[in-house]
Amino acid sequence: MPRAIRGVLIECEPAIKSIIVHLDSKNNDFIIEDLDEQHLVIKENMVFLLKQKLEERLKETYRPEEPLADSD
Amino acid sequence: MPPKRKAAPGAAAPGPAKAGRTSAMSTPGPGTPRSLDSSMVSDADEDFDEDIPEEQKEREEFLGKEADDFVNSWAISSSKFQSRPNKAKLDAASVYFGKRDFSYLQLKPDHMNRPLWIDPEKGTIILERFNPLAEQATDFLITISEPKSRPQFIHEYVLTTHSLYAAVSVGLNPHDIISTLDRFLKIPLPDTVRAFIEKCTKSYGKVKLVLKHNRYFIESVDAELLQTLLKDEVIGKLRVHGSDEITTDYAPTMQGLVIPGTQNAAGVKQAALPAADKKGGEGEPAAETDLYTTLNEEDDDDDKEAVHSFEISDHTVETVQKRCLDLGYPILEEYDFRNDDANANLEIDLRPNTQIRPYQEKSLSKMFGNGRAKSGIIVLPCGAGKTLVGITAACTIRKGVIVLCTSSMSVVQWRQEFLKWSNINPDDVAIFTAESKNKFSGNTGIIVTTYSMVTNNRERSHDSKKMMDFLKGREWGLMLLDEVHVVPADVFRRVISSIKSHSKLGLTATLLREDDKISHLNFLIGPKLYEANWMELSQQGHIAKVQCAEVWCPMPTEFYDEYLRANSRMKRTLYAMNPRKFQACQYLINYHEARGDKIIVFSDELYSLKQYALKLNKVFIYGGTGQAERMQVLENFQHNPAVNTLFLSKIGDTSLDLPEATCLIQISSHFGSRRQEAQRLGRILRAKRRNDEGFNAFFYSLVSKDTQEMYYSSKRQAFLVDQGYAFKVITQLANIEKTPDLAFATAAERRELLQRTLVDNEKGGEDDVETDDLFGKAGGRGRGGAAGKKGFGVRRTAGTLGELSGGQDMAYIEQNKAANKQLKRSSAPQTKKAAAENKSSFFKKMAREKERTKQARG
Repeated sequence: MPRAIRGVLIECEPAIKSIIVHLDSKNNDFIIEDLDEQHLVIKENMVFLLKQKLEERLKETYRPEEPLADSD
Repeated sequence: MPPKRKAAPGAAAPGPAKAGRTSAMSTPGPGTPRSLDSSMVSDADEDFDEDIPEEQKEREEFLGKEADDFVNSWAISSSKFQSRPNKAKLDAASVYFGKRDFSYLQLKPDHMNRPLWIDPEKGTIILERFNPLAEQATDFLITISEPKSRPQFIHEYVLTTHSLYAAVSVGLNPHDIISTLDRFLKIPLPDTVRAFIEKCTKSYGKVKLVLKHNRYFIESVDAELLQTLLKDEVIGKLRVHGSDEITTDYAPTMQGLVIPGTQNAAGVKQAALPAADKKGGEGEPAAETDLYTTLNEEDDDDDKEAVHSFEISDHTVETVQKRCLDLGYPILEEYDFRNDDANANLEIDLRPNTQIRPYQEKSLSKMFGNGRAKSGIIVLPCGAGKTLVGITAACTIRKGVIVLCTSSMSVVQWRQEFLKWSNINPDDVAIFTAESKNKFSGNTGIIVTTYSMVTNNRERSHDSKKMMDFLKGREWGLMLLDEVHVVPADVFRRVISSIKSHSKLGLTATLLREDDKISHLNFLIGPKLYEANWMELSQQGHIAKVQCAEVWCPMPTEFYDEYLRANSRMKRTLYAMNPRKFQACQYLINYHEARGDKIIVFSDELYSLKQYALKLNKVFIYGGTGQAERMQVLENFQHNPAVNTLFLSKIGDTSLDLPEATCLIQISSHFGSRRQEAQRLGRILRAKRRNDEGFNAFFYSLVSKDTQEMYYSSKRQAFLVDQGYAFKVITQLANIEKTPDLAFATAAERRELLQRTLVDNEKGGEDDVETDDLFGKAGGRGRGGAAGKKGFGVRRTAGTLGELSGGQDMAYIEQNKAANKQLKRSSAPQTKKAAAENKSSFFKKMAREKERTKQARG
């Protein structure tokens, strides 16, 4: 019996893909198919959550712009 | 402005007033009783050689915290000066500006022609450099405010109490400051700023802190003012009770002063200096108004003015200083060295052929602006001759000098510089370090020592204890503090309260700390007297012009995957070992070696330092490199045309002086340290070839994309950007893939590198892969070499996996010889070398080994 899952094709930089794969590695709830260096198919219902998590992750790398020194 | 002053400690700013009071409650314990007896000095001395008592530690901590509060409260932003106008109107854009919405300020009709903006709340002044009036405005701003950021088109300055005081002391009238500022501003001068300037300039110069016969006195011409201070609940308690009465004395008189080294300079300067002295001579005890009326009269100094004073104990100086500032009578610390007869004069003068540069002279004229020595900090870029500034200051004061530096290395350097630039008798320059404890021969002289020597509280040897007593029992004319930014505030407190000096001069290139404790230095030493403009100096050819670039190196996917999983330590190693970064480094080295540059590569990460240097076959120096080897490598780098690239760990950040270097590549660094970035840049600022036509030095920072390094890197650059350096971002190095022998070009090689990096670092960080020892170990098993290992068969042995698999033994090392070793080998006799070539690699190694031990013995 074939089963269908609605998916979304994601195209991104290799680094971002790495992050997504890393996020997925915990309980495999994002990725349906890992296509190549820059393409992934992920579950449609998880897109929003993924965006959120990605955002968080990127904040760790590029911390938000420092508030101007004189604004404290 | 009496009403303002009253309002300040009372209603508007309860913070500082309260802080001042509590300090009074906590300090009398250790402070006052001891100062009762007359043998206060020796008493205090003994106290300092013991371990610091808990109480004192607490007090230091408290003082530190208080200084924080205080610095904040006295800034223009404190509520003392602020009366925020009600926002005129809010529009759709207001939310985006938040607190920085200044739309209520009205522009002057001709604002286009005026170069300045001012922030009425912070006292920040923004200067448009492209305005035709910018030059004049810059000169003015440098006098009245502190530079904060000076890139090409927009400069930022900030008004502070200290900068305003400096302006008054060089003879600017508060009224002139206000009117000139108003003239340059695009908006009418805000009332808050006007009030701030008036308040800050009005009371300056009334109260002075004077060190006489090793005791501190508060001095003023106005006896009533002193009475007010004595009635103050804080200061009153801190007075030394032996000197109940206010003593009256006569103000010293002055004559012209010329800073040595400038005599040869043009007559303009000669004329300028006595003029400055004139002001000082008269203005010292007088109120500002008198100062300006007497400015034009030549003084006979017959009419001596009465000066009143009372004594305070040395422990309480800082508290009193703060309290007085709080009351609106900031204390000046000035040293009238030419009328100091109590301390012997030192025979020292600059050598006749020494000529100091214009900016050095400018910085010194700020220090001796009114004929007296002011305490403060002078900020000059690395390689711009800070030492000479210090020496010239010593030659001007000509009293006993104590120099504090950071390491025993620089102690020796300072002494040599003194002998080089001045005619001082070598016996009069003594060194106080762990190894040597000399005293000068005459009754005064120069002592060079380190911060740790004078602040060490543990049990010390008899000799050093005697030496410390000697240091503490004297009055010093000048205390030179080298690299002031590195020393924590509490160490300073200890130094300053134990060694008494009339004036203090701090020298540094990078007046910043990541913990932002720099503001404490204003208290402990004095205000920033002068800060050089790096861009100007490089245009004049005093320091090299530098092109800065940040090279972005993408992480290969396999590295990035690993990076995401790794812990923070491993992350650092991984982004340093990024093969793309490696390639970029290789490319840049090739490119610049071809141009004839001498290159220094900096890496904080020891592991990557070694891997890079071994792979690229370049010489390297790190903490573990022996002294002899270091010297050999450095000499080769300087003189050998075949050795053009040197890898350095962070030991090379500051002390190394390599004027040959013209290019700098940074592969890993200490997080977001702005100081390190600036200090490293300093390595190439003194480039020998800087005056060649069209010469540029290069500074590259290699950064792995999508990692924390990007964030740190932008932070690190902040200081240099403020100095006007522009960082170019390079995302793609042209033709990098065409580099011959490009390292890690294939995916297989990259994977291998990744595996090796992970394995090597997992087993416990930086083991010093001392190749000699390793070989010795393997050989000691009887057969030695890779072949021997296989013969072991099944046997239980203790050893690492890497070692057993041959990944760590000499076979690997043979391919990746450290270039350091080749230098050594080339100096060995030729015949032996030729003979060695016929042998197998194993015997070669043995022969080399023998030779090395022979050399070591001989």
